[in-house]
Amino acid sequence: MIRTRRSSVQLDAALLTLLFGAIGFIGYRVTVGLHYNWNWAVIPQYIFRYDEESGRWVANYLLQGLLTTIRLSLWSGMLALLFGLFMALARTGRSLFWRMVSRSYVELMRNLPPLVLIFIFYFFLADQLALLLGIDDLVRNSGERLQSVIGLLFCKPEQLSAFLAAVVTLAVFEGAYITEIIRAGIQGVERQQWEASHALGLTRLHALRYIILPQAMRQVLPPLAGQFISLIKDSAIVSIISIQELSYQGTQLMASTYLTIEVWVTIALMYLLLTFPASMGVGWLEKKFARGRA
Amino acid sequence: MKSAEGKRKELIIDVRHINKIFPGPIPALVDFSARVDRGEVLVVIGPSGSGKSTFLRCLNGLEEIDSGTIIVDSIPLDDDEKHRLEIRREVGMVFQSFNLFPHMNVADNIGLAQRLVRKKNRKDALVTTMDLLHKVGMAEKANAYPAELSGGQQQRVAIARALAMNPRVMLFDEATSALDPEMIGEVLEVMMNLAREGMTMVVVTHEMGFAREVSDRIIFMEHGRIIEQGETENFFLAPEQERTRRFLDQIL
Repeated sequence: MIRTRRSSVQLDAALLTLLFGAIGFIGYRVTVGLHYNWNWAVIPQYIFRYDEESGRWVANYLLQGLLTTIRLSLWSGMLALLFGLFMALARTGRSLFWRMVSRSYVELMRNLPPLVLIFIFYFFLADQLALLLGIDDLVRNSGERLQSVIGLLFCKPEQLSAFLAAVVTLAVFEGAYITEIIRAGIQGVERQQWEASHALGLTRLHALRYIILPQAMRQVLPPLAGQFISLIKDSAIVSIISIQELSYQGTQLMASTYLTIEVWVTIALMYLLLTFPASMGVGWLEKKFARGRA
Repeated sequence: MKSAEGKRKELIIDVRHINKIFPGPIPALVDFSARVDRGEVLVVIGPSGSGKSTFLRCLNGLEEIDSGTIIVDSIPLDDDEKHRLEIRREVGMVFQSFNLFPHMNVADNIGLAQRLVRKKNRKDALVTTMDLLHKVGMAEKANAYPAELSGGQQQRVAIARALAMNPRVMLFDEATSALDPEMIGEVLEVMMNLAREGMTMVVVTHEMGFAREVSDRIIFMEHGRIIEQGETENFFLAPEQERTRRFLDQIL
């Protein structure tokens, strides 16, 4: 064990040299060859701007986009968890009909490009369903207070139906993966745990609620958290239907300022700000549960 | 156990001509019939793969039978889910691999079904739980988790968990087979005390000494069939079947 480690140090050194060489080369090309007018100084004002009217610092495009991404991720994350839990229960249940429903759902979602789903859901949900439910009218006629609550929890009131369509699309899409994760968790609980529950006279529902699911969820918490990180990243795709989340704000800002690299590097850092702590959290969870199992 | 004589016999388990057919990994049962009276201790022995555990697991519906009838405490075990639940509430079971709930401490393991099935409130359930833990000598471990206990301790908790439902019958499926030798005694002792208190028990075991001491009646089975059954003393002293004699010679 120790010997293999030592010999790999030389290989590591070679690889690192190569890596730094490549970075140096790219850096050199960018500074010398790119003919790019760097202008980092303007970026901060797209994060915060000073509002003359109220005399306060308020969030500008990029920070607004980040906040929308967070709202989008949280809502669709919660909804996806509900879908996933329900479909996983259907998948592991006794009814053949529900097993088939769940199976079809998972296969359909996993074998379609999310972009296609987005368009279908957007034009169906946001256009037809929202009209049918009268969401737009409801929002327009609501009082100022309700509008500000909507603004705080979701998005600008006039974009609510599109935002909801985006939330539902992401939730349905990620829900399929969460279904598979939770299904594996439920099936990973030893059969004897079911038997012990049955032998005590517990109903199937009680056994699930108190014995099987608590153990399954403990097992799947790390992969679930990982799926949530995926969801944050995947949420960029709804920029295609003009949801003003981080990536959408990026394309807008790039079009108006031409500061391509500064804008996208800033946006990359903002995504990392969201996903990296979550990633660390996953690692921590995995370690914690690995210890608990031993 | 052996004090039930004189009392009028009351049939509590009535198994008639049940069949459980292959395929599947579970040993089959062939035209199997058995009766257990209240307060009786029946021990089932036989080589591994003979269907002892299958028989036991059919009694509370963990395995489905293909034909025949099972009646427990006047309730028929049939396709009616309600009957199945009712029977399971009256029949406690102890498994070879303990099967405690690993995410709950000892007290919750024992308290859960009391609250969910017997609809007891938390306080009443805890009183029963602590009584039972005293009985099996595990009172000071009420807050421990299963993983922190030895095999023998886990099995004693599992017995307390089954008893918490106040069952009419207790089934023991090789309750000591997974234990280290030095822990078998503590579990057998709990089982013996139960038998002395008059609990109706059906026990699958390889512990012949225990079987001889505690049981009223023995069933010896092989390949899913009853080879011989009888009162314990007669069974061990004068087995009628050649096959029984050979089996007893092997393991005694």
